[in-house]
Amino acid sequence: MSELVDAIVQIALVIMVGLLLPCAYRVFIGPSAADRLQAIETITTLLIGVIVLLAIIQGSAFVVDVALALAAFSFVATLAIARYLSEGRMF
Amino acid sequence: MIAEIVGATFIILGVFFSLVGVIGIMRLPDVYSRIHASGKVATLGIFGLLIGVALLLPGTLVKAVGLLLFLLISSPVASHAIAAAAYRSNVPLADVQRDDLAGVSRPQRKRPRDAE
Repeated sequence: MSELVDAIVQIALVIMVGLLLPCAYRVFIGPSAADRLQAIETITTLLIGVIVLLAIIQGSAFVVDVALALAAFSFVATLAIARYLSEGRMF
Repeated sequence: MIAEIVGATFIILGVFFSLVGVIGIMRLPDVYSRIHASGKVATLGIFGLLIGVALLLPGTLVKAVGLLLFLLISSPVASHAIAAAAYRSNVPLADVQRDDLAGVSRPQRKRPRDAE
């Protein structure tokens, strides 16, 4: 991998980690519970991107599996919490 | 060489759309429009990064396409569930012009277990 591509990937990793902070601020100030749930879902989506960039930097294809597992668990968690908000209970 | 250039371009595009989505999450007025902004992060941003990793890292094409298809299905479903939960828990809309769901949306369900 050339130097330029390496630098681009590292700068992209720094920007993606920096983007987690505004989402955490939205979780902190969000007026309703739906705001907080939506910001947490965005945080997990950004974390998938961070893990993918870490896979490029480390040169290991197996790190992408971690992103797949995180996506599956965050989908189930978001559906369960949204159901709790609208119906009053999860099950 | 070509694959590296195209992959780096897709990574720059993905980071740009993630940036735009997070700016929207901070600045838009209510939950429903913020869900619209977070959909940009979940589709365009992550898709750019995944196409980039499929081009830059050998052996990840199948995993990246699988994750991309899973996000293509799961992200709109999750956004829809959050929007329905927000509407049913009476989160107000900012600057209402018309509300087509007023009186139509299913109210909180009463189940047999609730009556007891």
